[in-house]
Amino acid sequence: MKKNYKKLMIIGSGPIIIGQAAEFDFSGTQACRSLKEEGYSTVLVNSNPATIQTDLETADRVYIEPLQASAVAKIIEKEGVDGVLSGMGGQTALNICSELADSGELKRLGVSLIGTQPEAIAMSEDRELFKETMKRIGEPVPLSRSVTSVREAVEAVKEIGKYPVLVRPAYTLGGTGGGIAHSEQELAEICARGLAYSRIHQVLIEESVLGWKEYEYEVMRDSKDNCIIICSMENLDAMGIHTGESIVCAPCLTLSDKDHQRLRTASLKVIKALNIEGGCNVQFAFNPENGDYRLIEVNPRVSRSSALASKATGYPIARVAAKVAVGYTLDEIPNEITGTTCAAFEPAIDYVVVKIPRWPFDKFRTVDRHLGTQMKSTGEIMAIGRTFEEALLKGLRSLEIGAKGLDSIHMTDAEITEELTDATDRRIFAIGEALRRDWKPERIADLTKWDVFFVNKLRNIVGMEKKIKEGPLTADLLKNAKYLGFSDEKIAEITCRSESDIRKSRLSMGIVPVYKMVDTCAAEFDAETPYFYSSYGRSSEVKKDHGKKKVLIIGGGPIRIGQGIEFDYCCVHGVMALQEEGVSAVIINNNPETVSTDYDISDRLYFDPITPEDVLNVIEAEDIDGVIVQYGGQTGVNLALDLEKALAGKKTAVLGTSPDKMDVAEDRRRFSKLMDDLGIRQPKSGTGYSFEEVKDIAESIGYPVLVRPSYVLGGRAMEIVYSTEELKTYVETAVKVSRNHPILVDKYLTEAIEIDVDAVSDGKDVYIGGIMEHIEYAGCHSGDATMVLPPFTLSKDIIDGVVRTSEKVALALEIKGLLNIQLAVKDNEIYMIEANPRASRTVPFISKATGIPLAKISTKIMLGKTLNDFGLSGYRAIDHYAVKASVFPFLKLPGVDSILTPEMKSTGEVMGIDKDFDVACYKALTAAGNRLPAEGGVYITVNNSDKERVLPVAKELAEMGFRIYATKGTSTYLRENGVETTTVFKIDDNMKPNAIGLMREGRINLIINTPSQKSGAVRDGHKMRRLAVELEIPFLTTVQGADAAVGAMRVARDQSFSVMSMNEFRML
Amino acid sequence: MAESYLVLEDGSVFEGEPFGYRTSAVGEVVFSTGMSGYQESLTDPSFRGQILVTTYPLIGNYGINDSFCQSGHIHARGLAVREYCKEPSPMYGGRTLDDFLRCNKVPGISGIDTRDLVIKIRTMGTLKGAITEDKDRIDSLVKELKRMPAPSESNLVAEVTCDRIQEYDFGKDTRVGLLDCGGKSGILRDLSQRFNVTVFPYDTPADVITESKIRGVLISNGPGDPSHPAILKTAAKTAADLSSRVPLFGICFGSQIVGIAMGGKTYKLKFGHRGTNQPVKYDGKVYITSQNHGFAVDGDSLDGNDLIVDQTNVNDGTVEGLRHKNLPIFTSQYHPEASPGPTDTSFLFDRFAKVVKEGHL
Repeated sequence: MKKNYKKLMIIGSGPIIIGQAAEFDFSGTQACRSLKEEGYSTVLVNSNPATIQTDLETADRVYIEPLQASAVAKIIEKEGVDGVLSGMGGQTALNICSELADSGELKRLGVSLIGTQPEAIAMSEDRELFKETMKRIGEPVPLSRSVTSVREAVEAVKEIGKYPVLVRPAYTLGGTGGGIAHSEQELAEICARGLAYSRIHQVLIEESVLGWKEYEYEVMRDSKDNCIIICSMENLDAMGIHTGESIVCAPCLTLSDKDHQRLRTASLKVIKALNIEGGCNVQFAFNPENGDYRLIEVNPRVSRSSALASKATGYPIARVAAKVAVGYTLDEIPNEITGTTCAAFEPAIDYVVVKIPRWPFDKFRTVDRHLGTQMKSTGEIMAIGRTFEEALLKGLRSLEIGAKGLDSIHMTDAEITEELTDATDRRIFAIGEALRRDWKPERIADLTKWDVFFVNKLRNIVGMEKKIKEGPLTADLLKNAKYLGFSDEKIAEITCRSESDIRKSRLSMGIVPVYKMVDTCAAEFDAETPYFYSSYGRSSEVKKDHGKKKVLIIGGGPIRIGQGIEFDYCCVHGVMALQEEGVSAVIINNNPETVSTDYDISDRLYFDPITPEDVLNVIEAEDIDGVIVQYGGQTGVNLALDLEKALAGKKTAVLGTSPDKMDVAEDRRRFSKLMDDLGIRQPKSGTGYSFEEVKDIAESIGYPVLVRPSYVLGGRAMEIVYSTEELKTYVETAVKVSRNHPILVDKYLTEAIEIDVDAVSDGKDVYIGGIMEHIEYAGCHSGDATMVLPPFTLSKDIIDGVVRTSEKVALALEIKGLLNIQLAVKDNEIYMIEANPRASRTVPFISKATGIPLAKISTKIMLGKTLNDFGLSGYRAIDHYAVKASVFPFLKLPGVDSILTPEMKSTGEVMGIDKDFDVACYKALTAAGNRLPAEGGVYITVNNSDKERVLPVAKELAEMGFRIYATKGTSTYLRENGVETTTVFKIDDNMKPNAIGLMREGRINLIINTPSQKSGAVRDGHKMRRLAVELEIPFLTTVQGADAAVGAMRVARDQSFSVMSMNEFRML
Repeated sequence: MAESYLVLEDGSVFEGEPFGYRTSAVGEVVFSTGMSGYQESLTDPSFRGQILVTTYPLIGNYGINDSFCQSGHIHARGLAVREYCKEPSPMYGGRTLDDFLRCNKVPGISGIDTRDLVIKIRTMGTLKGAITEDKDRIDSLVKELKRMPAPSESNLVAEVTCDRIQEYDFGKDTRVGLLDCGGKSGILRDLSQRFNVTVFPYDTPADVITESKIRGVLISNGPGDPSHPAILKTAAKTAADLSSRVPLFGICFGSQIVGIAMGGKTYKLKFGHRGTNQPVKYDGKVYITSQNHGFAVDGDSLDGNDLIVDQTNVNDGTVEGLRHKNLPIFTSQYHPEASPGPTDTSFLFDRFAKVVKEGHL
């Protein structure tokens, strides 16, 4: 039975980072709803505004505050919270909870942790304790020893007996700083890094189980010791590749029942030993040679794997875990999927689930693509099929990496061998290629350490390719190809026909997909879940129910750089708005982490790839009335024209802004012409089809220029170049320029202020949702920039101009729905940079900060309402500040320069909101993980033009008691102007003292470095930036940024901030 | 490509491809939701007379290994799957399911939409069906199926019980009897860890059993209808006669036998419980159990009886375990020996050992 609590707190996981993505919005949101339904008052804290859990509808009180023990304690005290749910916000929440428990704060505040107890956190995180606990219950773990120095590590290896060994830092996310050491030298390197990353400066040296199979079990336990397994999962990639980096299938496919039961029983023993009331994830290494296994890891909380398990089985783990945490037993909780049974059972599934990670290597071309024990992927997709091949091919198509299936890859035999042995993100394609070259599956299995079972599945795919190529494409062959998951597009490619042609013949042969239900019970019970996937078979479980109007929302697919959780937020709001209007909301998406793919969000959920074929199939199966493409980020926009073409003459319409007008915004020529017609200034630009042409354009516009290839979007391969020489390098190394692949050249506006505007229009009126001023100068991607709402330096005239420009553009593009505009202000002139006729990354941020839910209003407008119906028009300013700060993956991805450029690099964002500007900055910067120092040293090195402006900053820092270090030029200038400084050598001088040495000694706690305006200089500071990243020293590259940071540091020093719930801000 | 058909008595036909032994088969079509353990199920004598449909679409992935067998051969009359694995994982030796079916002369059919089939069975109840490669015979088969008695109307236990009394010495102090109605080898395995065992054919009279020095009797699982006249005269009578003389432990069919022996009634479930995920409530706790049964004890029929229903199915409230008010008799409708399935209730064997030792529950 449930226990008495007055108020329960749920801690979120903060911004999206590598290793911690949207899954915690999904679990936290489920938990809040689950507790609310039980009548508990809930308090939610998270710094990430792009989450459904921070909606006022989700929890009773919502705090968008930094996820730090101190802020959380303030909220607990203010709200009178008496129970904290520790296991819903990933490692971040667990760390805060154990910090609060260790410091005695919880006791002082009279709060209890519910779900995961501090002892369980310690037992799973502290390797020695973990080992002891497992020993006590008789479960084998790899031989290992915890060490706190490199010397101890070397001794530990002697005990273990042989290299390679694994190095695992304690208390880090996604394996940060870990690695595999094959020699003493490697051990020293990895170990030193790992010690630095560990919260408690401890790493574990562990026996290697490389090459063993890896399995995972999701377990649930209640206070009566009832234990169940929700899902078993098998990693295709053997031990040595982080499970977050592996292709995973569910359920386990190659384990006998006997061995499956051994691992299942062991998992139950573990959750009992840890005394967890809630969910837990257990990972095993399994030796295929002799059946030995080792317990590798336990996560005493919901995790990315549990989100996957929830979506894979339909069992709502977080929802149930929350109820269990407050005292319910599993048999007291109904199974909402069947409606007739309860949560105390083990899901049986009747399909294959495949998860594939989505890596950011398309954006970060300099990063080492090899996969290992450290996570590099930003997101993942899940695919469901009735055959393994079908699930895998759907999965590859869902990744949005341009793959139509198991595509060919150009590699030599030697390269293939290398790829199979030492995997990168391309390995799956390399296996396909090896099979096309008739390599023996056993040989491939041996090189990859895959079970040959899976290699043979890929061989079936390659075999089918061959059959299709040989032809003729009979109904039988086509049917078999569809059974194996071949897309029309792929079949078209193999047969050199068009996709629409294949689709036509397929439909004429009567080969259409059926939709099967995800029901937790393999059809044993009648279920009402609206959760489906496509397959090819005898009968479909989707029945067309006429009556209600139906609208399909295209989801955002996997989380990647440039397309984060913000789009899922918009999709979910779209669903809510449709439902509020009495319209049936249908979602198609393939991201298992998200709220949008929770089965109880939409009226119908389709877990499928987002390609024209799959979307059209759903439209036909459901008899959809309208499609919304605006919310799925670039995924949806890319589909718009294809869909409109395919739907011509049919009842289904693309809702909102017309695809043609969307194309105007996307197509540079059409857009430039429109701007000229409207009299809106744009930076000078041109398009070059050869190096010579590009060079001529650049020279006529004048350097610096912004260059990028025309065929990729989202700032990929975009660079600012300062000279012909640099342009040459860019053309030679970064992109190919040709007749088909021209290069776009724009004048780069130096030292211009950049502005983002999000607006909603109904075609007649325009509502400016918010104007955000970037703290960094134009040239830093808006996804990376620190932004302030409302503008903090712009004059009223400029703001009026921004409003007028935005209105003009919105009306000219006949926007029905959302529009994002990026502008630059230089010398009091407003320039148009770009317009995006879709939901932008900042829609949730603005909606939270102003209280106006832009995506909901936009949805209702698409259904025919007007802005007037909501009483919205023009622009209104708010009387508080909201600051958006970004978080970057530099620590996890060595090789990415931490300087901000036109190419987006951040993985996520946070919001700092307060009545006071400095406090809002403080909250945003700390929430984004910047350790703002309260004392110590500041290193300042700025270019000549910034010297004057940095002076007040330096003065203030000195006043605050910071010691100022500077290189000669800056130092002399500051001294002449009355700031006491310590002069240090430039790094290149190789003399001491210099910044690098001081940083290592811990004497520099903040760096202000504005590079001079040429890219050579930008590269020079690379070493220092890298070190700053590794030592987590805040690094500011603009004076404006420094200015904002200094205000924030004052707040940090005095801890003079208060927490305020979103319920308390006066909204518009 | 050769074609094969799964024909049901309601006239529906599922097209697929033949594998395993190329022959036709007739039986009751039942489904199991276990995601692994196909070999254990095929060789479980309780599947006698039945065509097994697996809800999991990929079957045979990890091959066949003798150690997984629950009896000497396959008892199911046929196997219907979405897909069988031709190239299994080599971890357990790599022998294929196809080969196993061939050697056992059992036909398989693959490529059918098993989920569609399962929904049909769930909706209509267990159906009789046939696997055939002869398209022309389909119409006459449907008629035959309609006329044909259900396999459970014959005495299936007689086909699967052992043919003579067998004594096993496992070096233990105590000896118990196993009344073999078609017991899985998993039961003998779990008994062997605690007792020396004498296995008796299902129709062994109580007097013969008590002649040997046994301290308790386990009545095993088995196929078919526990209220079949031939069973009432044999195993059920034996159980009734033994009840006041030695401790009894009934598993699955054995539980139903105990129910009948003590005056209760059994009935046929709409489509049975077959799988490894069935939740059972016992003493306020929930256990995940392995099940394979089409009949169940009618709880209401035990009113005024000395048997108490002390375990129930959490999903549908059916009887999952019985206990005698005074005598050392208890049962489980599910399989504590697992094989396939979870071993969470293996403590029932310990309980049997305790009861045997102490002579009371």
